[in-house]
Amino acid sequence: MASSSSDPQNLITKADNLTTLSFTRWNADWINATVLYEQAANAFKIAKDYERAKSAYEKASKGQEMLSSPWEAAKNMESAGAMSKELRNWREVGDFYRRASELYIECGRSQAASDALAKGARALEDSQPEEAIKLYTDACTILEEDGGEQMTFDLYRAAASVYIKQEKYTDAASFLLKLGLAADKCNATNSQTKAYLSAIIVYLYAQDFKQAEKCYNDCSQIDGFLRNDHGRCASKLLTAFKDGDIEEIKRITQSSIISNLDHVIIRLARKLPMGDVNALKANSDTIKDEEEPLDENDLT
Amino acid sequence: MSVIDILFRVDEVCKKYDKYDIDKQREQNAYGDDAFARVYAVVDSTIQQALIKSEAAAKESNRAVAAAWNAEVRRAKGRLMDEVPKLRKLANKKAKGLTKEDIAIRQDLVLALPERIQAIPDGITSAASHTGGWAATSAHPHIKFDSPEGPVDSDYFSHSEESSQFRNEYEMRKLKQDEGLDIISEGLDTLKNLALDMNEELDRQVPLMDEIDSKVDRANSEVRNTNLRLKKTITEMRSSRNFCIDITLMCVLLGIIMWLYNALK
Repeated sequence: MASSSSDPQNLITKADNLTTLSFTRWNADWINATVLYEQAANAFKIAKDYERAKSAYEKASKGQEMLSSPWEAAKNMESAGAMSKELRNWREVGDFYRRASELYIECGRSQAASDALAKGARALEDSQPEEAIKLYTDACTILEEDGGEQMTFDLYRAAASVYIKQEKYTDAASFLLKLGLAADKCNATNSQTKAYLSAIIVYLYAQDFKQAEKCYNDCSQIDGFLRNDHGRCASKLLTAFKDGDIEEIKRITQSSIISNLDHVIIRLARKLPMGDVNALKANSDTIKDEEEPLDENDLT
Repeated sequence: MSVIDILFRVDEVCKKYDKYDIDKQREQNAYGDDAFARVYAVVDSTIQQALIKSEAAAKESNRAVAAAWNAEVRRAKGRLMDEVPKLRKLANKKAKGLTKEDIAIRQDLVLALPERIQAIPDGITSAASHTGGWAATSAHPHIKFDSPEGPVDSDYFSHSEESSQFRNEYEMRKLKQDEGLDIISEGLDTLKNLALDMNEELDRQVPLMDEIDSKVDRANSEVRNTNLRLKKTITEMRSSRNFCIDITLMCVLLGIIMWLYNALK
């Protein structure tokens, strides 16, 4: 009895027999079947047979669903997702983690749901960044609906770093601003000002000086940012860019304020100034010239 | 019937009656053949959404919300500008059932698009309206040392070797102190950052602790109830066990009597 019960394949066949309906069996016995499925899945995992462990976890999760215990079902789904990550089956990873988070939402545990999505997103960061971003955004929406914005900081930061890796700088900056918004709701001024400074640095790295200025103007409406160290650093950086002073820019980026930001942002800041600073300076000068003739002609 | 079954059933029913969903069908069938019209419709609706968002951002009093929404509008504008060359190519394609005038109209529409996209307001553009925004106002008053920086060479002051040596030493020591103070200030910056982060982390953990508190209270009371019930059952058991002990002792007694009876017989 001991050898046959420890052989996971036997367990699976036994459990399948318990659940398939046939002439002699009119009700599926999910309780025992689920127990057997879970045992088999653990045994497969220890034996590093990920393919079969994954299918065993899937069946165990379905069994738990039949028994109306979504919490256990969600846990099994997460384990299945971890197995398919080992197998590098990326589409399934996303599916499993999404299903797990749905089950958690059924239990009413939004924190666990967003954790499941975040785990899935982290697994998919390298292989399917688009999918990872979607998972991160969904996780943040779930948390924000339930009033748990404090947990969203890490998720927004991770999503922004994925965008930066993909070189989509406007998207990364908008995520950082969303981070600032969430921090504002929780009165976490330090994270908020850090997020705004990071967004301005990302815009400058993308050589979009006008966007950076607009962003700074938007954020300087907020008192906390205007008088904060980060705000002052941002204004110094922008003046240095406008004047085309490369030395000043390098000095600012070496300062300790920038070194306290997220390491992805620090890397971008150290590479500033990108491109031709003098071109940016020339651009801003021509804009000033265009405005003046308008003023002369404006007789009102 | 469990929740799962209800969900499955609802899904099946919805799938069955999908063909009667007018809006969905219209979406799928409209512009079926005409790629240009489809893409143009999508771009148009995106522009409308961006306009609505930018209007809401302008009216919003919470600046953080306004900043975030403006960033979204800018992002949408960037994506729309990427779509414009695609549309241009599609507009030049000849499709069946289109007259020359239609094609000309389409090309005009595409040309007007970039201006419409740029016209969407996305944040405060005038830097002049912020007085003192650009001036790097330092909140700390200047810390001045009481060192004579005025003209050293004056008629009433003559160098001697000692005094110039003193002066040099003083300058060197001042430089070393400045370096030391710089290092201290960097360390303090790091400490300040760590302290602020710790502060935020603790703030984050407060609601979690409250949840743990209430859950543990609930578990505590449940365990106490279970204990009481267990105690009651055990006392009952014992009294019934006393009863069993009585019966066994009686049987033993009967056995002894039988044995005596047999022995005396």
